Amino acid sequence: MEKSLFRFIWRNSAKYQIIILLITCLSYPVNYILLDLPKQITNEAIQGSDFPVIIFGIEFDQIDYLVFLCMMFLVLVVISNGIKLVLNVYKGRLGERMLRRLRFDLYQRVLRFRLPHFKKVSSGEIIPMITAEVEDVGGYIGEAIALPAYQGGMLIVQLGFIFMQDPLLGLAAVASYPVQGYIIPKLQKKVVMLSRERVRNVRTISDRVGETISGISEIHANDASAWHSADLSDRLYKNFTIRFDIYNRKYFIKFLNNFMNQLTPFFFYLIGGYLAIAGNLSLGALLAVIAAYKDLAGPWKELLAYYQQTADVQVKYQTVVENFDPPDIYPVERITSDDSVDLEGDMKLESLSFSGGAAGQDVQGVSLDIADGSRVVFVGPDGSGRAEILQMACGLLSPTSGRVLIGDHNLDHLCEATLGRQISYVGSLVHVWTGTIRDNLMYGLRHRPLIPFNYEGEAKKARDRWVYEAEMTANPLDDTMADWDDLKAAGVESEAELEERLLEVIELVGLSKDLYRLGLQSILEPENDELMDRVLSAREALAEKIQSDPKLRSLVELWNPEAYNNSASLAENLFFAVPSDHKLTTDKIPEDPEVKDFLEKSGMDNGLAMVGLRIAKTMVELLASVKGDIDFLGNNSIMTMDELPDYEEIVRRCENADKIKQLEDEDRSALIALAFRLVPTRHRLGIMDDDLRAKVIEARKQFREFADTGDGRFIFFDPHHYIPSLTIEDNLLFGRVRLDRHDARQRIDEVIREHVYELKLRRPIRHSGLDYHVGVAGSRLSSTQRRRLCVARAILKNAKLTVFDETVSGLSEADIAMRATLFKALEGKTVLFGTANEAIASEFDSVVTLEHGRQVDAK
Amino acid sequence: MSIDAEVAALKKVPLFHGIDGSKLRLLAFMSQRVEYQDGEELCSQGDTGDSAFVILSGQADVLVDGEKLAVVGEHAIVGEISILCDVPRTATLRASGIVDVLTIAKDDFIKLMKEFPEMSLEVMRTLAERLEKTTRALAAAKSAAS
Repeated sequence: MEKSLFRFIWRNSAKYQIIILLITCLSYPVNYILLDLPKQITNEAIQGSDFPVIIFGIEFDQIDYLVFLCMMFLVLVVISNGIKLVLNVYKGRLGERMLRRLRFDLYQRVLRFRLPHFKKVSSGEIIPMITAEVEDVGGYIGEAIALPAYQGGMLIVQLGFIFMQDPLLGLAAVASYPVQGYIIPKLQKKVVMLSRERVRNVRTISDRVGETISGISEIHANDASAWHSADLSDRLYKNFTIRFDIYNRKYFIKFLNNFMNQLTPFFFYLIGGYLAIAGNLSLGALLAVIAAYKDLAGPWKELLAYYQQTADVQVKYQTVVENFDPPDIYPVERITSDDSVDLEGDMKLESLSFSGGAAGQDVQGVSLDIADGSRVVFVGPDGSGRAEILQMACGLLSPTSGRVLIGDHNLDHLCEATLGRQISYVGSLVHVWTGTIRDNLMYGLRHRPLIPFNYEGEAKKARDRWVYEAEMTANPLDDTMADWDDLKAAGVESEAELEERLLEVIELVGLSKDLYRLGLQSILEPENDELMDRVLSAREALAEKIQSDPKLRSLVELWNPEAYNNSASLAENLFFAVPSDHKLTTDKIPEDPEVKDFLEKSGMDNGLAMVGLRIAKTMVELLASVKGDIDFLGNNSIMTMDELPDYEEIVRRCENADKIKQLEDEDRSALIALAFRLVPTRHRLGIMDDDLRAKVIEARKQFREFADTGDGRFIFFDPHHYIPSLTIEDNLLFGRVRLDRHDARQRIDEVIREHVYELKLRRPIRHSGLDYHVGVAGSRLSSTQRRRLCVARAILKNAKLTVFDETVSGLSEADIAMRATLFKALEGKTVLFGTANEAIASEFDSVVTLEHGRQVDAK
Repeated sequence: MSIDAEVAALKKVPLFHGIDGSKLRLLAFMSQRVEYQDGEELCSQGDTGDSAFVILSGQADVLVDGEKLAVVGEHAIVGEISILCDVPRTATLRASGIVDVLTIAKDDFIKLMKEFPEMSLEVMRTLAERLEKTTRALAAAKSAAS
């Protein structure tokens, strides 16, 4: 990677830089004439007397001539500003393109770092380098060559003019330049050093913030917030002092420049005045020189500013780039090449050594022959070199000496196209990607785009532009919209077969039950109408089953358009619908304009506010004597302890019922929101009565007429329709499990399970479970589920060599059974297994025992 | 039945005898109302108890080692020792017909006592009276035996 910013700029944009320079030069004569024209207009057209004037053989009288010159002026204004616009856009685009190229290059370099390098860098430092730190470079690139060339040229021309008038005055004009040329770089050097320091300090800050986030539970568990606050505050202070130093120097430089520039006229007047009085210089010449000097100040100022910006940007560039150029970086072909060789034959570890710099990560001279298709276990505690050997055996880690061969291929010389497709690795640390379970399973099949996405019409044009820009910036042309799923690698022919295979693999790693549960909780994709229909008919059968069994009947309250559901909230009962926008929560519903309109029109608003007020009053009375901060309300309460003071305020404001009509909108909404939360069986406040129930059911019908306008904002509970925004389970049951019945939840779950099994719905539900979103880095899965998902991913790949380290290596029955299933699934393929647990060694063909990085014995 | 009815029921429980109505209201509010069907168990012998049951309506059988020893009915409080200290359930409680029960969790009860020390005093007084009664009964039994 180019160490110098200028080399980077020149190498990647020489052509465009020259174009910018040419356009800049082109604008010079236009600007010159533009400055000259007003003089001509006043002198020749307005005050002139020699008319008619003949231009290009056409005669002009005074007025015509004035109009002609003014029109010329207008045309030139348009041209001049047009050029400026084009130039700015051109520069901006070039800068952005170069920035994209630079950022992509940096990111690709991260992909090319060797594993041990990641022990030295942190994401908290790398991320701001790629994002924020290089940002200024983009703005600078457009100016990098054109500005000094243009302004420098201007400066020389003006200086030449002064020197021609009088060499002595010329010397006076440049007298301050050597001083500025000497002092400013010295000061600037210090500023550069400070900026470097500042960049490093900011990186440390971002690293500390990152560490705080990843170690947050440790911080709280150890009461270390004060320590971290002090540490960060100290860093911020350092940042302040550095910045302050920079300002001092920067503005001193500015001061010096301004001072010097204004000092020069002093010499002009003194020396030039003396010369004029002495008769050695004409007054006209002196005035011309002074005018020229004024013109000189512009370019000189620009050049100095440019110099400062260059120094600043260069420092930023260098401090970023030096972090992305480790000497042992992988060649780019390793990650970009698509050539995959077949890894056939026996595996051989030849005097494999690795030194990781830290104690307990060394491997010393391990030699081993592993027959194709055999199952080998590496037994050794953490720090015995086990993890390193296994990583070297799948080409993730490069040996310091020795080599790993499969057949005739040295793994260290192969590309990821081979290593990543024919070797599966599940290490002691696994990573689940943010996305669905399906995405995570198929992650090992997505190496290159296989079937291009078919763009048409406008999309095609947009795509063409995308491709053009990628080519302009040396970015890859791979399309994320294309089909990347390598079906062949998974050993299947079609998408449908792949779906079946995914379930098989999930079953294999023992996640089937979890997947079913996730599936029940999932929300179906709108296009899956076949399953919707099946769930719908299952709902009817389930309802019949529940209704016919008196015991079950009392556990659930099904949604019935004609009846009040006492296990559901007042909002659900009133609207008998769910908003399709899940951001519209029960608490926000009263403020929704459509709902507000309805409540006003139906006259429900005052009644509901009354209900809310009664609830608030009851709660306030209930807790009136509570002084401490013990939370008496818990999770199931209608309001939280934090909300209590607000409602207390509202209750105070309307001590009698008449005031409710004069209530502020905000208070009214708060009360209605409170009323909406009321679930009679849960809250037992004695507020819900038959009269209110009847009113709500009446309003329910009105709301349906009012809001059923086809815009789909509210999806009504309809026994004969699937409700897309509810989970499969809610759609199946189509009602609420009663809160006031013993063990109702468990028993209903059991009933649903049996019912789903009878109707053969388990498989499709598991399929929908594949679309379950696992949260950020799999945070919505348990750690066992995450690990198993990664095992499933490794199995799906059908690799010739599979490496497991510290994965399902326990002695529990579940682990033993799981290993047996895994080995059966991987029959005939080479399996390397790492564990600290010697007891499981008997399950393998051969055992390698490791101690302190050495092989103790091989049986 | 709403919270008022529950409070009325709680008032009839001897342990809560001296406790102010507004506190009982809060206790009722914090407690869970659950309906048990015929044959369902409220608790089983030997389990660690963490709640007391106040029967609001219906009745439940008290079983020790599978043998029916007693029947408890409306306004009876069962397992109240559990909300004061950790003891295993001494009997199984099984619903006989539909039983409506207010379940008072130990944590909630202790929260209340922490907030209102006078309530603890009332409970203590009731317990002390009971202890005194038991001691006297024991002494009488002893003197009768000797």
